[in-house]
Amino acid sequence: MESNWAAEHLQVIRTLMERSALYRRALAPIMIYNGVLGIAGGIVGWVAGIESGRAFIGYWAAVGLTALAGSFVLVRRQALKESEPFWSPPTRRVAQALWPALFVGSIAGLLSLICPTWDFLQPLGLPPFWIVLYGCALTAAGFFMHRGIKLLGWLFILCGCGLMATRCPAAGSFSSLNGHCVMGGVFGGLHLAYGIYLYFTEQSRNET
Amino acid sequence: MNPQAFLQLDRVIHEKGRLAIMSMLAAAPELSFTEMRDTLKMTDGNLTTHIRTLQEAGYLSVTKSFQNNRPLTTCSLTAAGKKAFTNYINLLEQIIQQTKPK
Repeated sequence: MESNWAAEHLQVIRTLMERSALYRRALAPIMIYNGVLGIAGGIVGWVAGIESGRAFIGYWAAVGLTALAGSFVLVRRQALKESEPFWSPPTRRVAQALWPALFVGSIAGLLSLICPTWDFLQPLGLPPFWIVLYGCALTAAGFFMHRGIKLLGWLFILCGCGLMATRCPAAGSFSSLNGHCVMGGVFGGLHLAYGIYLYFTEQSRNET
Repeated sequence: MNPQAFLQLDRVIHEKGRLAIMSMLAAAPELSFTEMRDTLKMTDGNLTTHIRTLQEAGYLSVTKSFQNNRPLTTCSLTAAGKKAFTNYINLLEQIIQQTKPK
């Protein structure tokens, strides 16, 4: 009897400790913002005909920085609204988990941008590489967030791997997929879809 | 069963609400009042009362500051609070060990 009671107490303690370490700000606005920005970025890049490798990388670096800055503003606004510190321990953990993969992606982009003869990756082969790395970053951050983020990360990884396969000549017409369509479709589309899903489910999940 | 471990349980921490507060703070260096209130689904008054009790026991420290002209109250465990919480967990484990069928 006492054993059950003590074990239940320990279970409650464990659950609460895990919950307090989780990042729990609303993600729907951030996902929707990044989704809309990604899709708009894809359409603008495609219509404007940004074709050269360096222009492509520079353009998407600018879109990425805009996404990062906008997400930062949204998170900060939520923290202020809820009278909570912005740089809270869960936020710090999530940022630390995201950082390594995003750093590698940035370095790959930077090398392609400043060193045109760098032949590790072709500039237009970068999108699948970025998508896989972003998926890895989300999967790592998922350890400190709700489980859905890990699944989203895996979706990015699978999409990135699928796109890598399309670079193979055997993929036929898929190998000529426009880089802007890939970036807009995958980054924008997946973020927007997940943001809409969260918009309808996040509130009720937080209440349970 | 030896009732010694049960009798040694810290009565300040043993209350459900205060145990929840201590558990959350044990996993985070500091937490804001609103974070704890929202996670634990407590009213402002209830949480304030529990925080005051823990503060009086020397287990918890409260910091009041301003962030963008808005008041920000954060709580963290003191060294005594961390020690008391660890002792509490150890005692619970002892109780489980003692009552385990051999």
